Amino acid sequence: MTTLYERLGGAPAMETAVDIFYRKVLTDDRISRFFEDVDMERQAAKQKAFLTMVTGGPANYTGQDMRRGHAHLVAQGLDDSHFDAVVELLAGTLAELGASPADIAEVGALANSVRDDVLNREPVKA
Amino acid sequence: MISFEGKTIALEPGQTVLAGLEAAGVGVETSCRAGVCQSCLMQVVDGAPSKRSQQGLSPGQIAGGLFMPCVCVPEGDLVVARAGDAHQRIEAEVHSLEPLSDSVLRVRLKPLADFAYRPGQFVRLITEDGLVRSYSIASTPDVAPLVELHVRLIPGGRMSGRLKGSTAPGDRVVVSGPSGGCTYDGVEADQPMILAGAGTGLAPLWGVLHDALARGHRGPITLYHGALNEGGLYLRGELEGLAERHANFRYRPCLMDRGEDLLAIVKADPALKGAGLYLCGDAPLVERMRKALFLAGARLADIRADAFAAAA
Repeated sequence: MTTLYERLGGAPAMETAVDIFYRKVLTDDRISRFFEDVDMERQAAKQKAFLTMVTGGPANYTGQDMRRGHAHLVAQGLDDSHFDAVVELLAGTLAELGASPADIAEVGALANSVRDDVLNREPVKA
Repeated sequence: MISFEGKTIALEPGQTVLAGLEAAGVGVETSCRAGVCQSCLMQVVDGAPSKRSQQGLSPGQIAGGLFMPCVCVPEGDLVVARAGDAHQRIEAEVHSLEPLSDSVLRVRLKPLADFAYRPGQFVRLITEDGLVRSYSIASTPDVAPLVELHVRLIPGGRMSGRLKGSTAPGDRVVVSGPSGGCTYDGVEADQPMILAGAGTGLAPLWGVLHDALARGHRGPITLYHGALNEGGLYLRGELEGLAERHANFRYRPCLMDRGEDLLAIVKADPALKGAGLYLCGDAPLVERMRKALFLAGARLADIRADAFAAAA
């Protein structure tokens, strides 16, 4: 039972994935301002780590890391609509890489599991 | 055993450097903790980091001793520091100063100790009274062991004014570094290369170009040099000569006062998408070019940039 990360081709595939994903976010008016980092190399490394995580590759994020890492963006207005946009672009990227709809749905679920941490809020208890 | 800021920390078998540091109360910025995002980057001052802890880093980063402590289980003792804290510092003697144009001074330094670098990296030049400025290494193999810098003479510039006005051969300076990844590394011999520099952005490209040719690079190499006017096209004669002698090298000057736009010209290069791309010069221009060329299809992994930031 392999992970999507492995099936896509592992670390080298993430290089290609970042190129596709990063171009999408830079040209999407809904969220480009959150990615307008002068340090593109640093930004790309973070995105590669994100893509690695959501496709089931090696990642050891803690909830705290995600909160701290996105706190300044939340202060700039980061909200659910932006998170949704990122998940959408992520789906588009994976489709271009040949992932199946089932794979993409699974990745979406993984991404959503960090929504509350990224947006720095307490999970809503039903 | 690892040593950090004078503190000695014993690692348990299989424990990562990050875990050891955190257990000892050292704060390290982290994110993925899996050797990908580079948030935790630190520098090795002595010893060898594990291979895994440098996987994915650029040649310049590796040459600078950077590593990711979150995945580093070292085989031997290490002395580590926060990235940027520990740089090789050596004394050098000014060998010669000669103008390459009205606004560019070629400064050649003779290191007084072993100084290893890759052409295209940069150094910090430190004067006796502590003035510090960064300059790209423009040296070509034939001037070794001298280190060559191309200094832009800035009106009112403290370092450039001093180098032009009062510095003489024999004077001592300290050189710190090298840093940077704008080098001929990670390029396939048949891959096209696009070198684009504005003003003294030519300095690292001059070094990279000669390095590539000396190593037998076969793919087409195009160097675009942007300048305000013809007076800014320094080393033009030498570059035209190189183009005559090397069938795979093309030199394309780009003049602002003729309305030519460096970015537009580079963007139109048909080899853009697969080429090793080198962007050097003032920071705002380089960042603008990096983003635009990436969006136009250049791969992130193929883009090497050296952005010159003005001194405060």
